[in-house]
Amino acid sequence: MLNYIWIGLILLGLFAAVGNDISDEVRDTYRNGKVLEGTLEIRKSPSAIRGTWEGDLSISRDAFNAFYGAERTDADVRQAVVIATGTDSVQAIHLPITPATPAWWREIVKSAGSKERLTGTVTLLALAEDGSTARIGFTLEPIQFVKLRAVTQAALDYAGIAVNIALGLIGIMALWLGVMKVAEEAGLLLIVTRALTPLTKRLFPDIPSDHPAVGAMIMNIAANMLGLSNAATPMGLKAMEELNKLNPKAGTATNAMITFLAINTGGLILIPATAIAVRAAAGSGNPGIIIGTSIVGAGCATIAGVAASKLLQRLPRYKKAMEVSHE
Amino acid sequence: MNEFFRSLITIVSVVAIPLMFLLFLGWGLIKKVKVYEVFVEGAKDGFTVAIKIIPYLVAMLAAIGIFRASGALDLLITVLAPATALIGMPPETLPMALMRPLSGSGSLGIMTELMKVHGPDSLIGIMASTMYGSSETTFYVLAVYFGAVSIKNTRHAVPTGLIADLAGMLAAVWIVNLLF
Repeated sequence: MLNYIWIGLILLGLFAAVGNDISDEVRDTYRNGKVLEGTLEIRKSPSAIRGTWEGDLSISRDAFNAFYGAERTDADVRQAVVIATGTDSVQAIHLPITPATPAWWREIVKSAGSKERLTGTVTLLALAEDGSTARIGFTLEPIQFVKLRAVTQAALDYAGIAVNIALGLIGIMALWLGVMKVAEEAGLLLIVTRALTPLTKRLFPDIPSDHPAVGAMIMNIAANMLGLSNAATPMGLKAMEELNKLNPKAGTATNAMITFLAINTGGLILIPATAIAVRAAAGSGNPGIIIGTSIVGAGCATIAGVAASKLLQRLPRYKKAMEVSHE
Repeated sequence: MNEFFRSLITIVSVVAIPLMFLLFLGWGLIKKVKVYEVFVEGAKDGFTVAIKIIPYLVAMLAAIGIFRASGALDLLITVLAPATALIGMPPETLPMALMRPLSGSGSLGIMTELMKVHGPDSLIGIMASTMYGSSETTFYVLAVYFGAVSIKNTRHAVPTGLIADLAGMLAAVWIVNLLF
């Protein structure tokens, strides 16, 4: 099933990206080739040594939103610009992206040629009588295939993120695997394991109740419930390694592994610290109010997950996947 | 009561790790385990396990990245939004429910945004944060845990994880509607 979900995510993503790009093209979301007008307050005029105009471009909020045909800004636009007077009559306009740039332009620059500035062509430059301001009109570089570009970038970025996550695990993995090994050698894991045997025997009937996998799973679940995710992951992976030692068919998930993952993805946690922190930061009167509701939600998720793993493992197709062929 | 429980758990989660170090290593010392040698022996595996995860995590996160960047979530929401009324779920929280199993950072962003727009103590704010606390990032967990032991045939792990997520989201909707 993971095969289908995986390819489903990718295909849905690619089709949605193409669909969105076509829709943007049809609706002319980016007003490619259309002339936007504004007022330029000139700070520097061209001189013998510098062939550029520099100044601030102002466009009223209403004019900006009317041009794009949507609510794109909630304030009047004021944007630094540089106009280069080329050798031919074409004048290029550069809009360097700064924090003062309207959010919509900062958004579309992601799909532009340069990430630091929007460029365009000036079609009108009419100086006022005193020479301090000018009326200008310009077209921005065409913006196309926004979502397809974003999809490409995301695939590359996330591949990098995945490696960073894995590399970041090396240290804490080593630390906790070392500590766990000491606990194992000292017989401490066995004590924890024996204390919970009545429960673990039911959850994992295939695993001998004294097996080190049981101790590692208990530690992982306890660490998860306390919200110690840095400790929980190494312990969980240690548990998976131990479970895999009992796996008759390498490369295939066993019933015990799936039940263990069901408990893990249920995500039962006594204090959902991240959610509480976000609530507090958003100015909640009672950030901790979700503790009880989260425990109910995650409790239901865990129970449903364990029940589902126990029921689904009986289906013929999943039983068959576990059969070891004797050829 | 709520406050007491919270501070208790905060204290526990602060002292838990130092306490575990003390207990595990101290116990080893009492049992005459050569703690340093055994620690190093165990720690050796840290590198190989982390490296083994890479291909699984790259495959999973790249697919999720493509899905997120394409705007496909908005499409799914358009399709599924009419169904939310049937279960008493505010349609604004639908992106949260769909994103939660896929991406931890993505669902965190959605939760933060919902609270900014609707307020943390609104029904939507409480429901979004309950949903966030009601499940784990299923696909990330699957990739990392199965990756560490090179499991490719996941059998019923995905349906199991999705049933758990669905149950968590429905329970969150139910309990929040009941109490608030």
